[in-house]
Amino acid sequence: MTSGKVLIIGGGPSGLEAARCVAELGGEAILIEKRERLGGTPDRENYAKLTHHWRDASEAMADMAAAVTSNKNVEVKYSAEVKGMSGSAGNFEVQIEAGGKSEALNVGAVIIATGFQHFDPGRATQYYNYYSFPDVITLTDLEKMLKEHNVVRPSNGEAPKKIAFIQCVGSRDRQIGNEYCSKVCCGIASKQAIELRQQLPDSKVMIFYIDMRMYGYWENEIYWPAQEKYKVNYVKGVVSEVLQKGDKLLMRGEDTTMSRPMEVTMDMVVLSVGMEPSAGTRAISQLLGVKQNQYGFIESGGAGGLDPVATSQEGIFVAGAASGPSDLDDSIAQAGLAAARALASVRKVMA
Amino acid sequence: MTELTTVEQILERKSHPVVRDASIAPTDDMHERLLELEAKGEIVLQRIKGDYVEFPTKYGRMKKIPIEHTWHHKSCGHCGHIPGYASSILWLHRQFNLDYHDPTDQTSCTGWNYYASAASNAVGQAAVMSRNFAAAYETGYFPLIHCGTSFGHYKEIREQLVHHKDLRDDVRRILDKMGKPLVIPEEIVHYSEWVYAMRDRFKERQLVDMSAITATVHPACHYYKIVAEDAIYDPEIYGGQRTAVVTALLEKLGVNVADYSTWFDCCGFGFRHVLVQRDFTRSYAVLRKIETMINEANPDLTVTHDTGCVTTLDKSQFAAKAHDRKVGVPVLSDAQVAALAMGAHPFRVVQFHWHSTDWRPFLTKLGIDWQKYWDEFQGDLDQIRAGTKSGITWQDADTPIKLQSN
Repeated sequence: MTSGKVLIIGGGPSGLEAARCVAELGGEAILIEKRERLGGTPDRENYAKLTHHWRDASEAMADMAAAVTSNKNVEVKYSAEVKGMSGSAGNFEVQIEAGGKSEALNVGAVIIATGFQHFDPGRATQYYNYYSFPDVITLTDLEKMLKEHNVVRPSNGEAPKKIAFIQCVGSRDRQIGNEYCSKVCCGIASKQAIELRQQLPDSKVMIFYIDMRMYGYWENEIYWPAQEKYKVNYVKGVVSEVLQKGDKLLMRGEDTTMSRPMEVTMDMVVLSVGMEPSAGTRAISQLLGVKQNQYGFIESGGAGGLDPVATSQEGIFVAGAASGPSDLDDSIAQAGLAAARALASVRKVMA
Repeated sequence: MTELTTVEQILERKSHPVVRDASIAPTDDMHERLLELEAKGEIVLQRIKGDYVEFPTKYGRMKKIPIEHTWHHKSCGHCGHIPGYASSILWLHRQFNLDYHDPTDQTSCTGWNYYASAASNAVGQAAVMSRNFAAAYETGYFPLIHCGTSFGHYKEIREQLVHHKDLRDDVRRILDKMGKPLVIPEEIVHYSEWVYAMRDRFKERQLVDMSAITATVHPACHYYKIVAEDAIYDPEIYGGQRTAVVTALLEKLGVNVADYSTWFDCCGFGFRHVLVQRDFTRSYAVLRKIETMINEANPDLTVTHDTGCVTTLDKSQFAAKAHDRKVGVPVLSDAQVAALAMGAHPFRVVQFHWHSTDWRPFLTKLGIDWQKYWDEFQGDLDQIRAGTKSGITWQDADTPIKLQSN
């Protein structure tokens, strides 16, 4: 039986925006979320401020969730996962399990918004000793500390005086197969560097990079203020290793601007970990039979490459970081497009 | 239950081994690719016959390690510089009556040339590997690679052969002339993986108490950095962050394994460096490895699992003595340590006399009266000189030594 409903899988920023747009365009949306609450990765990982506009992440996610939960055209199912699917565009039969109960949904289109996960720095390389040294942390670890206004060295609970960021950990790395740029890490590291200088004015903060990729307005909003106002030190160089030296961390590598080896001690080292497809993204692509690209993200672009929300299956669309590294602005914009395309797709079948 | 603070969450996460999911491994699964080639009739896939054990590798895939019926692919460097290395591996097999084949028609893999940028072409390299594997296949024994260089090199060639049909065709033409098939074994197995697999059995037969010994481990670059996903990892060993071989053996034998900060660095050998910049090799081995070990762990011994590593770490210390550097850490392979623990003769089997760093304090600390065994060995040599003995045989070496405390 043909259905005009749109199923949205994932309750993060993209899924929330897709659900809101479907509803506002006069459609009916069913949003299923694996967790017991909405907000996706920004909520689960306790993001402090969003890179764009420095907005409080909890507040922003709460607003996005409220826009969905307060809309009568959206049905939200928590603790819910897709278990199987059959049918075709306009008439999909989707088996889900929600709150421990099995259920069958009849929908006309599907939007995948299952997002990404942060790269685990211990999975492929141990050079930076993330799992060996307490004071080697990731962007997400630091984000939580910044949110709590309690940035300390895990080893001794003291405020760090010298902090270094290492960029491109798990991104642009042929050796581990992640040959793509994760897009957001440069901006986030610079944003966090500013926040560090705000919360710990006596600290010295350095960012070691291959090249800084500051998309769009981040250049003026983050990159230059970080250097000019907050005196964050950017060093073009490759860090080869992080070692323990007494109670400090010793960073060794190459300063490529100065063409010389470098050796600096730090109190804390922050690994700018990139994006990888979430377990949910990998699983859903298998269940729904949509193609993944070589990195495990859902392949999008359509036949001509200019259809960023189309998947390999008609009637199934993708939004946000499920299709590849993406910042919040782009994810949300893509979600709006996915909503419009999904609704157009079901209306075409229903007509 | 109270909620963990952010710092507690970080520390808690780091207290667990890394979980590696084979389904998201970033590299091709060679097992699958080899089966596909076999199904197409492109290669002969040599399978392990008889007992084997499986262990997880870096990305969570499983690797089979044969226990016996193995074809011993020896190392040029073992045989030329540290023969006690190879004899210890074979001695260990003999102690358990494990069937093995010690071929006399194996050639060098020529990998050192390749890694030293000296002489190389892909077809020639692949043909040499394939010839050796075909020789093993013809005997019915499964290759066990003694040499870390060959091990790493063969894994690289396997990948090239799997991905390039034109290379397979070229190699097959060469093999056809020798009347040999293009054989690739289902696993490329390093002897240290066999040692790892056998560690419990070694422990059962351990005669020498090693609890007084502190040792550092140098993992060989060619074992775990080249085609990195093919090395064995164990969540119980450094939380799955470092390869488990060598360290797991030492822990099993009761050795106190001490850590040091430059554990992942090359030993200094560097292939090209040891040929054309030997002073760099010597300096690196001493300044970056040995002195760091001494300063941070003060070990009685350092243990590794490749020819180049044992020779470089050992012999570089001799040169450094002339410069009054802080040196003096004996270097052994894991197989030599296992053999010594099970009572192998220090000179007939382990052959300490080929090692240049003073090993006497180490043997004394183990309670081994090295002078007594040295005298026995000198007696062997006297007989050889007198013409009453042609050489040292397994009959002389098979029986474990009887320590005074035994």
